[in-house]
Amino acid sequence: MNVRIDPSQQASVLDLHEPINVSRRRFLTGTAVGALVLGFGLPLGTTRVQAAVAAATAERGTQVPAFLEIRPDNRVRLLCPFMEGGQGTFTAMAQIVGEELDADPSTFLVEAAPPGEAYVVLENGMRITGGSMSVRMSYPVMRRLGALARAMLLQAGAQQLGVPVSELSTEPGKVVHANSGRSLAYGELAERAMDLPVPDPASVKLRDPSQFRWIGKPVKRLDAYDKSTGKALYSIDLKVDDMLHAAVQHAPRLGMTVGNLRNEEQVKAMKGVHSVHRLPGAVAVVAERWWHAKRAVEAIQVDWQEPTAESKVRPMPADFSSDAWFKRLAEDKGPAKDDEHEGDVAAILKETKTRIDATYHNQYLNHGQLEPPSALARFNPDGSLEVWLPNQAPDMFRADIAKRTGLDTSRITLHSPLLGGFFGRHFLYDSASPYPQAIELAKAVGRPVKLIWSREEEFLRDVLRPVAAVNFRAALDSDGWPLAIEAISATEGPTEALAGKQGEKLDPTALEGLSGKSYAIPNKRIAQIYVKGPAMLGYWRSVGNSLNDFFYESFLDELADKGGKDPFDLRLHLLRDNKRLTTLLQAVGELSGGWKRGPFTAEDGSKRARGVAMASPFGTETAVIAEVSIENGQVKVHDIWQAIDPGSIVNPAIVEAQVNGAVALGLSQTLVEEAVWMDGKPRARNYDLYPILPPARMARVHVRVVESGEKMGGIGEPPLPAVAPAVANAVAALTGQRVRSLPMSRHTFT
Amino acid sequence: MELRINQKTYQVDADADTPLLWVIRDDLGMTGTKYGCGLAQCGACSVLVDGNVVRSCVTPVAGVVGREVTTIEAIESDEVGKRVVSTWVDLQVAQCGYCQSGQVMAATALLKQNPKPSDAQIEAAMVNLCRCGTYNAIHAAVHELAGKGDA
Amino acid sequence: MNNSRFARTAGWLAVPCLVAAGLLAWYVTREPVSRLETHQIAVADIDPALVARGEYVARLSDCVACHSVPGGAPFAGGLEMATPLGSIHATNITPDTETGIGHYSLADFDRAVRHGVAPDSRRLYPAMPYPSYAKLSDDDVRALYAFFMKGVAPVKQANIPSAIPFPLNLRWPIALWNGVFVDAEPYAAKPSQDEQWNRGAYLVQGAGHCGSCHTPRGLAFNEKALDESGKPYLAGALLDGWYAPSLRDDHNTGLGRWSEAEIVQFLKTGRNKHAVVYGSMTEAFNNSTQFMSDDDLSAIAHYLKSLPGDRERDGAPWQYQAVSAAQRLDSPGAHTYVTRCASCHGLDGKGQSEWMPPLAGATSALAKESASAINITLNGSQRVVAAGVPDAYRMPAFREQLSDQQIAEVLTFMRSTWGNQSTAVDAQTVGKLREHTDPASSSPIILQMR
Repeated sequence: MNVRIDPSQQASVLDLHEPINVSRRRFLTGTAVGALVLGFGLPLGTTRVQAAVAAATAERGTQVPAFLEIRPDNRVRLLCPFMEGGQGTFTAMAQIVGEELDADPSTFLVEAAPPGEAYVVLENGMRITGGSMSVRMSYPVMRRLGALARAMLLQAGAQQLGVPVSELSTEPGKVVHANSGRSLAYGELAERAMDLPVPDPASVKLRDPSQFRWIGKPVKRLDAYDKSTGKALYSIDLKVDDMLHAAVQHAPRLGMTVGNLRNEEQVKAMKGVHSVHRLPGAVAVVAERWWHAKRAVEAIQVDWQEPTAESKVRPMPADFSSDAWFKRLAEDKGPAKDDEHEGDVAAILKETKTRIDATYHNQYLNHGQLEPPSALARFNPDGSLEVWLPNQAPDMFRADIAKRTGLDTSRITLHSPLLGGFFGRHFLYDSASPYPQAIELAKAVGRPVKLIWSREEEFLRDVLRPVAAVNFRAALDSDGWPLAIEAISATEGPTEALAGKQGEKLDPTALEGLSGKSYAIPNKRIAQIYVKGPAMLGYWRSVGNSLNDFFYESFLDELADKGGKDPFDLRLHLLRDNKRLTTLLQAVGELSGGWKRGPFTAEDGSKRARGVAMASPFGTETAVIAEVSIENGQVKVHDIWQAIDPGSIVNPAIVEAQVNGAVALGLSQTLVEEAVWMDGKPRARNYDLYPILPPARMARVHVRVVESGEKMGGIGEPPLPAVAPAVANAVAALTGQRVRSLPMSRHTFT
Repeated sequence: MELRINQKTYQVDADADTPLLWVIRDDLGMTGTKYGCGLAQCGACSVLVDGNVVRSCVTPVAGVVGREVTTIEAIESDEVGKRVVSTWVDLQVAQCGYCQSGQVMAATALLKQNPKPSDAQIEAAMVNLCRCGTYNAIHAAVHELAGKGDA
Repeated sequence: MNNSRFARTAGWLAVPCLVAAGLLAWYVTREPVSRLETHQIAVADIDPALVARGEYVARLSDCVACHSVPGGAPFAGGLEMATPLGSIHATNITPDTETGIGHYSLADFDRAVRHGVAPDSRRLYPAMPYPSYAKLSDDDVRALYAFFMKGVAPVKQANIPSAIPFPLNLRWPIALWNGVFVDAEPYAAKPSQDEQWNRGAYLVQGAGHCGSCHTPRGLAFNEKALDESGKPYLAGALLDGWYAPSLRDDHNTGLGRWSEAEIVQFLKTGRNKHAVVYGSMTEAFNNSTQFMSDDDLSAIAHYLKSLPGDRERDGAPWQYQAVSAAQRLDSPGAHTYVTRCASCHGLDGKGQSEWMPPLAGATSALAKESASAINITLNGSQRVVAAGVPDAYRMPAFREQLSDQQIAEVLTFMRSTWGNQSTAVDAQTVGKLREHTDPASSSPIILQMR
């Protein structure tokens, strides 16, 4: 069999070659009233920026033409406000819009929308892909969008068929006139519908959930085939005419500046090298091929200069060590600011007969998404700038580019390709993204430049998941039930880190998972000691919950043990007035075949035990049971049972996949992962010294979705936080060893 | 030098020690094969050389002269590869998808050499990293392809 | 015995004792005579050509490896060397008059380099390879002096005192050690050998100080032989967690299968079809051997190939046996090999040309000592920087991914496959090395000489 792949054809798969002439688009003329676009023959990636800006005053998510294009072949192109990075949002949005538009999601082509006010559809007024917000906070708006488009097609159909709109209905992909038996495909109506005004948003009626065909069903992902055949394109894959490649070498510590380049001439003479560049805190080589750029930039011998007082970035001290930092945090005595404070905690802790004190801490983590960061920048002949880059918030990135370049946002076109994983990596982090460098290089060489950070450079500049040391104190009553709990966390939240200071209010991302617990413990105090650290921090899947639920839920088991209670029973007791969580906890118990803690002997003869934990992240409730054994001194997790209640769901198959993914990341941070810093530098610069969960250490995952009908919660992050404490609790039940820091590879078990 | 990739012959001007990965991606413009680590740690760059799976990021291009390279772009022209892709789609394996080219190549190589691999052989062959945690889906897909049912 | 008699006897005995003590004191504190005592050069008059020549001798001698640290000023000292007695730091040898060697006369310099004695008669620790440098010619010492006085920038940087506790920090016993183990004469050409051989011998024994790592050491930490007259010379030795293999004509564990041209290629480019430099040899290559002239490298290769092997020590000659690691999945370690090692080193263990070294027939797989194999598996390789360009491929560190047991098993597999027949590796040995070593840096380390 012969498959011919012509390289030149391959390269032109992407139609990125000419600047996009936005003025030819009718809907871009500045009116808030648009029309469906007959998009045939127009290049992909067209921006609708102007339409979006002009529509700023309209109600959220009603600019139908900015989102939808129906093609003559009935394919529906949806510009999605959210980025697809594996979480399935493109498919979910096709389901939601398709349900109301009455178009099969499988007929959708979904791409990320450009920046623009029109695409701000979240109820909180933001445009980000994160916080597990996409579906839950845009659900009604995106449904209404589909319904509005359907109304326009019905109107167009009425005109074309010459019948009252009230006599028309739709079937997937077409308008139907039952009386006459006539029907018109959406593709046939798109051109006429284009000239119609968008109806009053209040005028459309949404479909009754009992009639849903696609919402709530395991609809196949739209990208499954492309992603199984290498056809899916990520930022790192893009190519434009005349493009050069670039690689960088960063200063070993953030804040250091470029001094003398000892061998610049030698490097310039290396094969394929176009030019050598000095950038803030980095040197770069631009070359005809990335491999040449990478080898040349590694060869540059830079005399790095120590940071000066004027450093605009957070300078990394030469003596920073993560281990020393944990100690310092644990010993910090305050002052602390209260987040939650009920009852008289201090007095009870002082007087109680049964006091339990414990100190926990967690570890720094990298994002470790498999696609190394890259950015492609091109200045067009008219001076406008186009940038292709991985991001979770296009408008913020465009604003930042405008700030850096002095260009008006209208002169900046930002493209958001598929993300090869993100987990919080692609928010706007100063000094942690390649696009400012790519833009500077493109400007310097007068040609488009694609810059890829090698894996080693990525590990050097990635922002870290925050760390905390939490000092717990608790009191039990005479029956062994928790009476008071105090958790004082010495930490810096990611939002505080980005701001460089503590705000007026506490950073919710610092304490979530310690705060917001539903257990009926009458006296509690949750407080933060703000400790600004030297490391650059960022958001990591499930954010504060990823550490805080480990602390709290592990400590809760310590209380159970001290009070002579079974940890499952203890939780049921503390949730006795909370029907939703009681149901959920019972669901996970049932899913696991009935709660049993062990230790017990499994069929294969290994000694095992189980642990339970719960979490309430991002509007969703979760309960996890883990089964573990010890194999060659290491923890082996055999099974994870997870019951998850996000209120209601859109795609059960994707939910199950997301639970699997979150469990994998949760196990990874529990078992093996840690970003160790010594002498101001990360010890690991690749996956060799920064292991991420390998297939051999994945657990079987069993999922039960509980749809309580409560307000919709998130899916991408919530299944993660309860994993670590469930495993730690199982390990404690099995070995008697209470793990108060992660990862478990730092501990030895017998 | 002359390379045979996906049953087509290419003339390539590259240093002998250039990793095959970058020749495929940058010189030949086939981007289905991914760069993940450059250190043979993740497997995103897996391709077949004479039917064996290799990590192209640690394969100096000079070493594949005269051998037959297959990349993900040609996977469906292979009988086994086609089945692998179809099972991958049926079981909805991919999430972000970045590692999946390599996963599909690894599974194809395994099943081409051994249509009924043992569990140990599967475990030894399917070692590529996935940060999204699709391991269970991969496991199920390979077991289905190996006729073992969803083990 | 009454007291007076004892006193008298003791009195008689005291005389020879005092004489002996006096002689000893003289011996251990004396300033050795330099052959260049009357040859002082005025620094101002030093000819740039002599400086250049001296820089080359400094490359041959690899002074920079110890007297510079990454990111530090050239030759300002600072490298920490752990010894069983405590750590010591290499000193500042820039021409700074206060903290460096700016006040050294040529004779002072000579005494330090060839005799291991500083101007205050203080004995240097033999971590400074003066037992080898003793063989340097007068001309090379003079050139070296010229380079350090005029080619190196003076840097004011105080030396770090050694951490060796009293009384072990007394230096005078070193003089006795020198008396026993150091032959303080420059290299004398052997008329029975040709010029190339003699040049090679001079470089290997002298400036190159190859024996510092490759010659086994005795109980007093002395190299068991300093030239080809001793059978242990360059016969392979364990040092600092690495096994520096035999450089003799041993078929399995030495250079028996290497041609002279392959030795030259190895020292010039850091790699050949048999091996890639790693461990301590990476530093020697990065800083020293690649800068040697082709003639000198050929001379070294010629000399080394003249050192006979020892069949008894080396064992039966290795022969490749074809087997795919994938076919041995049931043997312990094979699974790890297939999943972690085979991508680069091949299921057949043959590696990939000169880029990824073969494990079939590798010295590290045939030598009895497993330290190098364990060390590089735990810690990965330092970057090999050839002609200013860091290597395209490096060995990852597996210490965070594989347990002691897994490493022991995979190395045992590697050392018993493809015709390799060597000792098994046990987990305890791996554990000990794990504790005492650190992962190699993935960034290139380039020590500057100017």
